[in-house]
Amino acid sequence: MALLLNEEHAHETEDSDPKIVKFTVVKKREEDHAQQVEPTSFEGAMLPHLDAAHNLARWLLRNEQDAQDVVQEAYLRAFKSFAGFHGSNGRAWLLTIVRNTSYTLLKKNRAVDLTTTFDEEIHGSGDVAVSPATILERSDNAELIKEAMDELPAEFREILTLRHQEGLSYKEIADIAQIPPGTVMSRLARARGKLKECLATRVGKENR
Amino acid sequence: MNCEEAKKLMDGYLDGELDPIANQKIEEHLRECRNCDQAYKAHGSLIRAIGNGTPYYKAPAKLRERIQSSLREEIAKEPVRNVVEDFPPLFPTGQRRTVPSAIPWNWLALAAAIIFAAIITFNLMPRLQRPGSDQFLATQLIASHARSLMANHLTDVASSDQHTVKPWLDTKLDFAPPVVDLSSEGFPLIGGRLDYLDNRPVAALVYERRKHFINLFVWPAASDASKAPKTITRQGYQLLHWADSDFNYWAVSDVNVNDLQTFKQQFATRTSHH
Repeated sequence: MALLLNEEHAHETEDSDPKIVKFTVVKKREEDHAQQVEPTSFEGAMLPHLDAAHNLARWLLRNEQDAQDVVQEAYLRAFKSFAGFHGSNGRAWLLTIVRNTSYTLLKKNRAVDLTTTFDEEIHGSGDVAVSPATILERSDNAELIKEAMDELPAEFREILTLRHQEGLSYKEIADIAQIPPGTVMSRLARARGKLKECLATRVGKENR
Repeated sequence: MNCEEAKKLMDGYLDGELDPIANQKIEEHLRECRNCDQAYKAHGSLIRAIGNGTPYYKAPAKLRERIQSSLREEIAKEPVRNVVEDFPPLFPTGQRRTVPSAIPWNWLALAAAIIFAAIITFNLMPRLQRPGSDQFLATQLIASHARSLMANHLTDVASSDQHTVKPWLDTKLDFAPPVVDLSSEGFPLIGGRLDYLDNRPVAALVYERRKHFINLFVWPAASDASKAPKTITRQGYQLLHWADSDFNYWAVSDVNVNDLQTFKQQFATRTSHH
């Protein structure tokens, strides 16, 4: 139990507080009122990234209803600050907003989040050696990976989704997760290691 | 480089995110150290297993509708205030008080806002899109790509078999586009589709890359058209253009530039052998 808690705390200091980010978004919105946002151009630019937005929120929140609420709120926030967006990477920009909105909700539910994620039984024996080939051979490996992913802390779920499912570069991940670019590789390594551990424990336990 | 350092850089190496010098050093170490080489291969297959096996949660259709209608509400709400402030009063101040209740006034403002938005959309948008035929084509390409993913119409003929997709396209078009499956290169063929671009019917080949789609638009090259490869980045999409002696190619996707370049090279290599 102690291990997971420590990890969560470590990430808390590493990441910037979503509250600060939220404030800047609100501020921007006020400045942008003078400019006319073209609704069609917003939808054209942002709706194609709806799947990416939903997928990230779904992995972060582990709950379909919450994910949909967060994505809807994130789109509204994005719309209101769209005039201030001049970059070319709309997907990364939108995912940053989705990520921040998700964290606001996660922090609110933190007490619940922590007690429901940890299961001493599952984490009890982490030293079972199972090769990736064994995991790959499993016909239900999608379900297996899903269960193992859901056990990881939010910071790990986030980085694995951004890298493996969205194929984003370290630089883009650093921007979205608001961490220094140098931290991306080490966090990704820890996330993969932890996921492998969870997978191995699950496969090992069933084979026994 | 020792084993400790190699272990630390392993993920970056597998992700192709190291600088060339570190890349070279780790490769040297892997050639010399059997342990690390094994660890590297195992870690690589784990990463691929995670990448391929993790379920991707696509957004349900009703979420799209929910967002669109909440945006409509927001749009209706926002410009109303601006328009009312900017417009000169329709009635002299004295008479204005006689307009019964706030509701009709809101409706007027709403109507004004909609007309306003419509005028802007129809008059300004086409002009903004006109600079350069490439820019206009890029807009068409992105729209076509986005539409193929939005509506349930990614493929007309869904098959990973190039010998199914190609004959189907040949019968529908007045040209015979090259079709190759690139599964072994990491870009499995999903299918083919008919599309309409640049004032002519074109072939759209659909490939997948890590749950992302690549639309490859193909049509015969005009003899005077420029053959120079082009890359355009817009709205988070990558567009890559190239041409050979027979055809024009435009690849559109939200995968990163490197992936799309690799795709282009693989496709060009395979088609040049045919």
